[in-house]
Amino acid sequence: MNTKRQFMDGLIHQNPVLVQLLGMCSTLAITTSFFNGLGMGVAVLIILTLSNIIISLLRKIIPDEVRIACFIVVIAGFVTCVDLLLKAFVPALSESLGVFIPLIVVNCIILGRAESFASKNGLGRSALDGIFQGIGYTIVLIIMCVFREFLGAGKFGGGLLGGGGLGAAPGIAIFPEEYGLAVLTLPVGGFLTLGVLIAAMQWGLAKAKKKEAK
Amino acid sequence: MKISGKFVLKVAGTLTIIALVVAALLGVVDMVTHDKIDAINVEKTNQALAAVAPEGAEFTPVELSDAAVAAAAAYGTLDSMYEMSTGGYAMKIVASGSQGSIEMIVGVDANKALTGVSVVSHSETGGIGTKVINNDPNSAGTPVLDQFIGMSGAGSLVVGKTVTPISGATVTTKGITAGCNAALSAVEAMG
Repeated sequence: MNTKRQFMDGLIHQNPVLVQLLGMCSTLAITTSFFNGLGMGVAVLIILTLSNIIISLLRKIIPDEVRIACFIVVIAGFVTCVDLLLKAFVPALSESLGVFIPLIVVNCIILGRAESFASKNGLGRSALDGIFQGIGYTIVLIIMCVFREFLGAGKFGGGLLGGGGLGAAPGIAIFPEEYGLAVLTLPVGGFLTLGVLIAAMQWGLAKAKKKEAK
Repeated sequence: MKISGKFVLKVAGTLTIIALVVAALLGVVDMVTHDKIDAINVEKTNQALAAVAPEGAEFTPVELSDAAVAAAAAYGTLDSMYEMSTGGYAMKIVASGSQGSIEMIVGVDANKALTGVSVVSHSETGGIGTKVINNDPNSAGTPVLDQFIGMSGAGSLVVGKTVTPISGATVTTKGITAGCNAALSAVEAMG
């Protein structure tokens, strides 16, 4: 296994959302503005990397019978730390993500990577896995946000760009909001966008496979 | 299957140690963030108080009466109450929204009519429930929180009848409406 391969796995071949279909709840729920997507992606990246490191270090000490319980305690610990730190230092993000920060505890990407990767691999590999999987997740969130924001409300970069405070910035208007497909900003739009993205990803992967076979 | 004492000790011991270490870490993070989070909450409460009262109003905390708490309980929890120097009361009310509780300040003037609602903290869905919190226009075009100003009569505020929600965020609007009803009933119970 090499680093480049691991990187491509995190981003494309084993993308946590589009291929492993993990962590879809948060993906559907929070991808309504660029700021939310980026914030959530970075929060998950940090928690995933830290929990992968700790779980990889403890993998020989933790008895097999209680490994899930141990993983969850470690993950919940980091999530609570990040939650408190965000509340204290980036209240705007904490407010706009709301309950989805504490819910990272049950985000199956983190438990999934702990179980399938960090508990079987060394420290360096596990840390890299956390970072790459985290980047893969963040990129999908950002694509979803950009897509939904642009087609739904004719904006780009909501919460970050266009003046105003962090989280309150309206985003840069590209076309007037009333011409947007408002349905895309609603939960149902999340499902539609994710479905289209997964289909595109599978199409791309199948095409690449066919090419390889030839 | 016989379970040996050593095995139990190992399993329980590891889990306990991990939990203790994580708890210690959380203690440290809490120490660092506790005061900051408190300060942010106090500031938010002050901002929310200022938002519901006429300009220049001063607030004096009032002791909660049992009757007021009991009356509000039908809609939400009455957390604290302030007397406004311009007449009437501002109350901190906790009511349930779509994802958890919504903590809000509701102002009621001397004539028992609402002077405004402002949200202190909540866990509503970003981009959907937060539209209500941010006072975006409702389906009729009025800012959703501003429509409450001037309304009176505990229990007469009903989403879909007297209150117009933001489409997609009806449950959050209902939470705010419950908070307003709670405030009105508390003031009515106090006479």
